[in-house]
Amino acid sequence: MTGWHVADDTMIGYARGRVPLSLGASVETHLLACAECRDLLRAVVAGGEVDRLERLWDEVVARVDAPRPRPLERLLRLAGVSEDTARLLAATPTLGASWLAAMSAALGFAVFAALAAGANDRGTLLFLTVAPILPVLGVAAAFHRGVDPTYEIALAAPYSAFRLLLLRSAAVAAVTCTAAVVAGLLLPDRSLTAAAWLLPALALTLLTLVVARRVDVVYAAAGVVAVWVPTVVLSHLNVGRFAAFGPAAQLICLAVAAVSLVVLVAGRDRYATTLGGV
Amino acid sequence: MAGSVVVEGVTRSFRGHAAVAGVDLCAGSGVTGLLGPNGAGKTTLLRILATVLAPDRGRLRLLGHDPGTPAGRLAIRRRLGYLPQEPGFHRGMTVFDFIDYVAILKEMTDRRARHDEVRRVIELVGLAQVSGKRIRALSGGMRRRVGLAQALLGDPDLVILDEPTAGLDPEQRLRFREIVSRIGEGRTFILSTHQTEDVAAVCQTVVVLHEGRCLFTGTPAGLIEQAAGRVWLDSTRGPDARVAWRNGDGLMRNVGDPPADAQLVAPTLEDAYLLLVADRGLAEVSR
Repeated sequence: MTGWHVADDTMIGYARGRVPLSLGASVETHLLACAECRDLLRAVVAGGEVDRLERLWDEVVARVDAPRPRPLERLLRLAGVSEDTARLLAATPTLGASWLAAMSAALGFAVFAALAAGANDRGTLLFLTVAPILPVLGVAAAFHRGVDPTYEIALAAPYSAFRLLLLRSAAVAAVTCTAAVVAGLLLPDRSLTAAAWLLPALALTLLTLVVARRVDVVYAAAGVVAVWVPTVVLSHLNVGRFAAFGPAAQLICLAVAAVSLVVLVAGRDRYATTLGGV
Repeated sequence: MAGSVVVEGVTRSFRGHAAVAGVDLCAGSGVTGLLGPNGAGKTTLLRILATVLAPDRGRLRLLGHDPGTPAGRLAIRRRLGYLPQEPGFHRGMTVFDFIDYVAILKEMTDRRARHDEVRRVIELVGLAQVSGKRIRALSGGMRRRVGLAQALLGDPDLVILDEPTAGLDPEQRLRFREIVSRIGEGRTFILSTHQTEDVAAVCQTVVVLHEGRCLFTGTPAGLIEQAAGRVWLDSTRGPDARVAWRNGDGLMRNVGDPPADAQLVAPTLEDAYLLLVADRGLAEVSR
């Protein structure tokens, strides 16, 4: 491979750990490419050190082969998420670029429409209606067979399907809600748009996961959205201004979220086979 | 018995149609092949065996555990490898990344040991040269091998492979057979296929499924035996032939009830399989 080889005395010094760091690094670089010098190194180290050498060599191979984490994975690691969990989360389909782009577009549309409508209630209501739907759709997409390519492989693995469900739901909901909070702050009626939709979002997301125990998760999400939108509009028109986000409604949302969570945890075993039985 | 699969009267329906209708099956150590036409219920049965689909009725024991209980299912999944019919991949991941991802799902938490295992299975299926390549850049045959590699993670006792040779060219199929016969010993492999050659090459047991029911369970030689005296060559299609096709030397290969003066030939596994399925079709028509 190469005309140059490590001199015997240098190799002996290296094997005994008695060469300067820079020379050691140079020898190691050469060893990676030169089988002849690796044989020489094997010959010069004492029998008892062969194991140590093999361990070192394995270490080198492991470092070289180790996958380089992707940007999202690195971000999660920086945030203190463990390596395993970061990798599982990074593979969530709705944390990918296409979902983030779709979510941003939906939020952008809601903000634009709200601003275009001026400081009237209609724009604010539009934003408040759309914002809680986004995490519902994100979570539904994260678990739909057609969206998660490794759905069945993951299901047949011993890793708890319920834990994976909650982990990914939490990650998707966190990302979506953060974006929606930022978008809400851009609107004129900040007292409502900044946070009033958060509890409804949590309740709708958990409710979707509960309904998904019986039907396909996409139908579950569609059903929840189909109930949510008329509820918001009709309560606004008939009960009172933004009634679906008032104190009473927030309490109802809290109760729905709590009951849904209890039902989810109590029935966690249902997630061990295909959702909706398909 | 370790590595065994016991299925008794298992049924699973979708929208009123029984995809699997009362199947009994017992598989021990070695390779068992499920043969059957499209819609025979092979995939549904394999999904049930892989614990991703619960049966409507019937009794199942996999590796000595009941997959109907959470503890039993977990114990099975810890010793299970599964290649679905259409395995999905995160195509932006490299081969190493993807298999490492599945290894995490298989509870391999020690990073160093996990990476060693990932390297082992990648080498086993002959993909070491492309382990750093993104999956989207691989050919269909290579992706199939990535699917096989993830199914072999952790040296599982029960390996379920759904159509593992679909879309492979003859050379890749040969390589697959070589891998399965090399690592199939001492564990239970259950695979489905359309290819009778795959069954003849690697399976110790063959199960023929038709419309959700089990038509035959036994050795490939036992299946061939069923067609003894029922395959003949002629210049034309025989009046009582169930299936007939013209072979390379211009003669019709007939499978069915031969005439008295028929030129009988030794049956192949394909003849026996076609005869079995055709006989069943005829029996259903006459019922």
